[in-house]
Amino acid sequence: MYKYLLIAMITFLGFSQLKAQKDRKINFVGTARSLMNSNYLSVRDSIPDTASVKRNDGGYALVDLGVNIKPNKNTEILGMFRIRNEFGGFWGSGVSFDVRQLWVKGVVANALRYQLGDLNLKQTPFTLFNHHADQIDSMPEVFNLQRNIVSYERFYMNNNTWRMQGANVDFGLSFSKYLKEINVNAFLTRVNATNFTSVPDRLMSGYTIQFVQSKNLQLSFNSNHIFDVKGTVANDNLFKSSVNTIDWKLKRDLARKSFLFGGEIGQSHYQYTNDTLAPDLKDYFVHAYAQMSIPKWNLTGTIGYLNVGPDFRSIGAQSKDINYNAVPVYFDRYTNDQRIRPITLFDVVGNENIYNRTITTSLMSENQLFNQVLPYGISTFNRVGGYAKIQYKNKKGIDITSQYYKLNEIRGQGSFALRDMSIFKLNASVSINQLIKTKKLIALQVGTMMQTTNRSSDQSIENMDLKSNQYTLGFRWELFSNFELMLGYILQQNDGHDYLPTRNGYTEITYFNRSDYQVKQELAAAGIRYNFSSKTYLCVLYQQSKFTDKLNISPGFSINQFGIIYNITL
Amino acid sequence: MKKIIIFISLISLSCLSCRKEKNVIDGPSVSEIFSSFTILENFKASRDSVNFKNLESVYFTATFNKIVSWQITIVGKTSKAVKVIKGDGKVIAVNNSTWNGTTTTLPLFAKEMCTATLSIKDVTPVYEVNVNVTEPKVLTGFMIADFETGLNPGWTKFAQTGANMDFKVKTDSLAPQGKNYFNMAGTVNWDYLIGLIDFPATAYGASVTYPLSTNPNDVYFNCLIYGVPNTNQSIILFQFREDENSDGTLNANNEDQYDFEVKVDWVGWKLVSIRYADLVSLSNGAPTTPKGNALRNPDKLGKISMLHLANPNDGFASSKIDLIMFTNTKPLEP
Repeated sequence: MYKYLLIAMITFLGFSQLKAQKDRKINFVGTARSLMNSNYLSVRDSIPDTASVKRNDGGYALVDLGVNIKPNKNTEILGMFRIRNEFGGFWGSGVSFDVRQLWVKGVVANALRYQLGDLNLKQTPFTLFNHHADQIDSMPEVFNLQRNIVSYERFYMNNNTWRMQGANVDFGLSFSKYLKEINVNAFLTRVNATNFTSVPDRLMSGYTIQFVQSKNLQLSFNSNHIFDVKGTVANDNLFKSSVNTIDWKLKRDLARKSFLFGGEIGQSHYQYTNDTLAPDLKDYFVHAYAQMSIPKWNLTGTIGYLNVGPDFRSIGAQSKDINYNAVPVYFDRYTNDQRIRPITLFDVVGNENIYNRTITTSLMSENQLFNQVLPYGISTFNRVGGYAKIQYKNKKGIDITSQYYKLNEIRGQGSFALRDMSIFKLNASVSINQLIKTKKLIALQVGTMMQTTNRSSDQSIENMDLKSNQYTLGFRWELFSNFELMLGYILQQNDGHDYLPTRNGYTEITYFNRSDYQVKQELAAAGIRYNFSSKTYLCVLYQQSKFTDKLNISPGFSINQFGIIYNITL
Repeated sequence: MKKIIIFISLISLSCLSCRKEKNVIDGPSVSEIFSSFTILENFKASRDSVNFKNLESVYFTATFNKIVSWQITIVGKTSKAVKVIKGDGKVIAVNNSTWNGTTTTLPLFAKEMCTATLSIKDVTPVYEVNVNVTEPKVLTGFMIADFETGLNPGWTKFAQTGANMDFKVKTDSLAPQGKNYFNMAGTVNWDYLIGLIDFPATAYGASVTYPLSTNPNDVYFNCLIYGVPNTNQSIILFQFREDENSDGTLNANNEDQYDFEVKVDWVGWKLVSIRYADLVSLSNGAPTTPKGNALRNPDKLGKISMLHLANPNDGFASSKIDLIMFTNTKPLEP
């Protein structure tokens, strides 16, 4: 069956290509990738692990072939198919044939742009935004090879967007006096489909109206609503969540310095229409910042204020990209007790199975190993405080960025005492080849992130103290033309304890579980990449990951991985 | 515009910079959760004996020094029926521990002495009280079959002539309610059908239709089904045939038939319920369009057929059934 489909498709594409070359109404886009890897697990438990499979070899080849059709100058259609073949399966078993993308977009009367089908949507950081809150800011390039595959698979290509299905329209109005333009964007998407018995259709609608007074002053109204559609199930209890915000940007140039004053304020309402047990959560937030750039010194500094209420709920902005309850793709169980293997740096860097493609309908679990201060980005509820950022970036390839967040809880969790939290980040990258004036790329990047959380209470049992330190080191060297050596190392340590909340379906805390951490994670990788072009590469990669828990709550383990990646972007 | 923005910003910042909610907390108190457990008020039942037939109920009480996850397990000393009541909190009281005679794990409770055991998560001691059930709960609804008096002469039974056929009413300790249940077992290697029983409305009186509500959202069909361990999967198919013109004849070509297919993939007794509005039309297990007015009319229901099916390639299949009945507004609470 697949053989005939493949032949039919190739034939169709062949004829289409002839047509395409003639008038360019049909273009082909897509990606081809082959990934082969061999993984080895070793477990460090008090009793030798004889129950787990220690070796996992595999891989796949896939082709995403998209046909971009422009039937007229105002319409564009994209349909993308995926053929994927797991190594070891051919002509039937292990082969899948899917539709990966499908959308239509166009312009009505040269004024109204629309898109139907798959959409990549983003509003503001408090309405609809993929924060990638647990990602490493300074990811060495050798790990980015896997990270880029995750991004492609989960449609994170346009940063901070979520992939959704529905309809999107936007249009703009221009003015000659007082106001330069008004831009309007609106969308309606389906968050989840009804099962006709207990799960109702859940939709998301939203709009942004942006007033542009000049290039120096902008003001926007943003609205985002998630709601159950009445009548799609017999139950009258409907969920509604709305977030309405105003954001602004004011720019000024003064004495060879550039100033930017920006921010966003808004409120949320989270409710069920006919559920006496459900809370009616209403709250608001304020985010304001001032930025100063001094081009002469290559410096940009920012100070900001953040105040997000404890009952502020925004599903679009508080959905996480990583699902920590997902099953890892390799070695999901280990030890003689066949315990579930914890999600570690190894998975966060390159395991696409744990990543969400779109927003979720309930508040997702946080993971204190990776983010204990802002698990939902700056839209994390129950936070008040400030932050400062400073960046030095010159034209000689030196880029240094430092950030510091100092935050508190607004409402205590399980205690009247409030947590104090801080994050310090320092990331630097240097293009050594520019400093020593050679053409072949030599780049070094280093980064560190330190998170602390503590609480002091009259009741000593309520005290908590948790620290997390992360260090990254990356190196790239173009040994020969288009032939790169890449090295990377990440070290992460978590020490202390905290009380992790258990939440019910209404996001209310029902219980606290004490979590103790003395965890150390290391991830080291070396790779050689040959770049055939900017869109095609072949890479051989070796990676070692090590997870150690001194408290043995999760027994330690190591995973060594050897992989080959061949990637072509059409 | 600029002035407005600056004004809004300054007002917001000055109003909110001191926002701290010092008198409320999110969730239960950590110090309570992690302090050692003490029972402040002993575990007690509100009465020593209870008559569920007279709509009496019994509740349990206890008070603890901290929020705990607790569970009360009530076991009938004769029937071995089990009722489980669970909760989280510091107080067990009438609002969270009332027992009106229902069952969590079948069989149903009988006239018997019961023991209620309170267990608390992460706490070793358990606490017990006895409650005497003088009369069990009376099930309300329209009884189609509980097999306590054998087979109704108005029903029609058909069983294939397969191997090891046992398609009859049985009386033994497995009965979840009363003393009898209906056993359905056998090997039929040429057909899915092992046996069937038709329950026409006329078996219950003169009317050609069942005395049910006109609203399909208010009518629930219920039965207790027993999955026999170590046998092949039984499929029990219920067919609901409507006599839309109430002429006493069920016409398959222009009157609706709805179906409810149950794959018995569990072991032991289990309550199976479905709302009449959720019934679908099936043809060989696949959804199809009803042949009549395509409206679910429980008040026009003329006959129910119960078919015991199994894959002929699998061999011997067996399951048991009891307490087939309709209830109003909600599923059966045995």
